[in-house]
Amino acid sequence: MDLSLNEDQLAVEGAIEKLAEQFGSSPVDFHGFALVSDDLDRELEEGGYFDIATIPEMGALSAAVSVERLARLPYTAEVALSMLVRPHLDMELPRPFGVIEQGRPGRFVATAKTLIIIDDDKVGIAHPTADQVEAIPDSLFAYPMGRLTESLEVKYLPDDVASTVKTWMRVALAAEMAGLMQAALDSIVEHVSVRKQFGRPLGVFQALRHRLAECAVLTGGVRWLALKAAWSGDAGDAALAALHAQDSATRLVYDMHQLSGAMGMTLEMDLHLWTYRMKALMSELGGRGGQAQVVAAACFE
Amino acid sequence: MNFDWNTEQKAYRESIRTFIRETLPENWEHIAHGPASREQTAFARDFCGKLSQAGLLVPHWPTEWGGRAADPWEAFILAEEMWMAGEPRGGQYMNVNWIGPILMLFGTELQKQTHILPMARGETLWCQGFSEPESGSDLASLRTRAVKDGDSYKINGQKIWTSYAGDADTCFLLARTSEGKNGISIFLVPMNTPGITVRDIPSIIGEGDIHEVFFDDVEVHEKWRLGEEGQAWEIIGQVLSLERVGIPRFSLASKTLRDTVALLKQEGRFIGAAVDQAAKAHAACEAARWYSYFIIDKRAKNIQAGPEASVGRFSTVICERLVSEFVVEHVPEAISGVHPMLLAHHQRGIVAGIASGAAEIQLNIIATQFLELPREAR
Ligand SMILES: Cc1cc2nc3c(=O)[nH]c(=O)nc-3n(C[C@H](O)[C@H](O)[C@H](O)COP(=O)(O)OP(=O)(O)OC[C@H]3O[C@@H](n4cnc5c(N)ncnc54)[C@H](O)[C@@H]3O)c2cc1C
Repeated sequence: MDLSLNEDQLAVEGAIEKLAEQFGSSPVDFHGFALVSDDLDRELEEGGYFDIATIPEMGALSAAVSVERLARLPYTAEVALSMLVRPHLDMELPRPFGVIEQGRPGRFVATAKTLIIIDDDKVGIAHPTADQVEAIPDSLFAYPMGRLTESLEVKYLPDDVASTVKTWMRVALAAEMAGLMQAALDSIVEHVSVRKQFGRPLGVFQALRHRLAECAVLTGGVRWLALKAAWSGDAGDAALAALHAQDSATRLVYDMHQLSGAMGMTLEMDLHLWTYRMKALMSELGGRGGQAQVVAAACFE
Repeated sequence: MNFDWNTEQKAYRESIRTFIRETLPENWEHIAHGPASREQTAFARDFCGKLSQAGLLVPHWPTEWGGRAADPWEAFILAEEMWMAGEPRGGQYMNVNWIGPILMLFGTELQKQTHILPMARGETLWCQGFSEPESGSDLASLRTRAVKDGDSYKINGQKIWTSYAGDADTCFLLARTSEGKNGISIFLVPMNTPGITVRDIPSIIGEGDIHEVFFDDVEVHEKWRLGEEGQAWEIIGQVLSLERVGIPRFSLASKTLRDTVALLKQEGRFIGAAVDQAAKAHAACEAARWYSYFIIDKRAKNIQAGPEASVGRFSTVICERLVSEFVVEHVPEAISGVHPMLLAHHQRGIVAGIASGAAEIQLNIIATQFLELPREAR
């Protein structure tokens, strides 16, 4: 047992931190839903970061730590699936990735070169052409959402590969959620420290302090479960992490908006960038009920 | 990072399991009800002696005090296995976790010589005299008074909720020697000292667990004061941080959940809402486990865990609650004693958010020290 990063992993963490700092604040004139950064995507690509999971000294754990950190940014890019799912497939698949589950609109679909298609228990891969997909610019979800305009030719994967894809999607989801939760929490801690009502900062009121403290506990738990699952690659660990992430996110999303008052409803505050990404991830892979089924099968003999 | 145990740690855990299997009597699950029943406490004296002979009572203590300086991981593995088995060490777990280590740090030569080796041999039971009727979470307001009289102190006052007091040999007592937080001192008081009266408090957590302890003109020589006058707050700060993740509650909670699911499966009842609830409870147990391991990892690397210990503690409270609720809803007969080990868990689980510092106090610590939220001017 050793819960510190090794030297290589620390080096990656440091490099990602440096990179992240450049994208740490949103442009003042941004009042939209999906804040996408092509520069971030390019820098990650050029730095070879999408392949760190395949380097033994770093592994999926390093990728998960990176995904968590980058998810805390107001900017988004297609990071989690490329860093955590793609390296675990025995085929060359072009990125960026997108997901279509049960035919619904999905994140990064309009720009994806590879789509993961989930239809009930089946998982497939498709490579859409530009006219087979379209963007949904007005979706509240703070990812660039897109949908299919026609049905695609899907190559369905054998069961074992399908379950590998789902396992790593769950790890990716949990790692991303951990970062989103942390960012939302940080932003509200700052908000209640500054915003005064009744002559004092909101953060002195115990009713709010306890809710924030509970959210911090949940966030810490999601992060550890995500890292454990990234380390083991186990289907049960991944489902546990995704379940805890989706479950905790329901609490975080509600509380963080509640504690920011009307300001949290505006596009001026960055809060929705994290909370609506969480909302987008809450339904993935069947939502909590879907993860629970996998936990039940994998974790209780 | 490595989320697995190494070969030695696995072998160590296995040796503890073997010891437990070979040592616990067949009717153990009937003894193991409640955290501190008379029967269990009596059993613990015998059991701890055997543990000590097997080198499994205080492995993490220094060699001069009967240990072999094992690392914090081994101490925690041992604690997990003991708690999972229904804590056959009874109240002696406190000696192992914090009373011994605190005496090593702050005790005089006489205090160490008198008390530490009997602990290492598993011969002695202590109780913790902190809480009072008017001082629970607000421990610093305690009123039990120790007044200097020549080279002794006269102690008057009352303690409450004192576990193990009925059978304890010695009390780790907090009493006031002057005003304020820094006016509290620690005394190591033999429980057979004249003037001490102990009364059982009937409770839902099992017979013989919690007590009232009255001190009427109890005379204690100053050589049994631990540390300086007024040093208690500083010393118990260390006790509390050791205790926050001292009991690996997630281990028994997790086992209880697995056992309950196994029962439901046998009866074809592991379906629907039970699946969702069990999965959620399992995730909470694992979150508590890994957060606790994170703190032990720090301890193993000599990094002081700060307010994270409270995060770990609160995670544990959540998992205990979810598992208890799961059992009550799906196997209610456990509460009527049909499944003794599930009942034993229930009686331990329900105190998780209260004993050794209430859950809300952990949230206060997290808010102030971990999130660094602004505080009301005091
Ligand atoms: C099984 C068991 C064994 C115990 N064994 C021992 C023992 O051996 N020795 C010993 O000394 N004590 C022991 N205790 C006592 C334990 O330490 C106290 O119960 C605990 O410190 C809480 O104090 P209280 O019960 O007086 O609750 P209170 O302090 O009255 O608290 C009641 C509620 O109010 C909340 N509350 C209190 N203050 C605040 C605040 N500032 N902000 C928000 N909420 C607050 C608490 O969180 C709790 O929810 C034991 C308790 C139990 C249940």
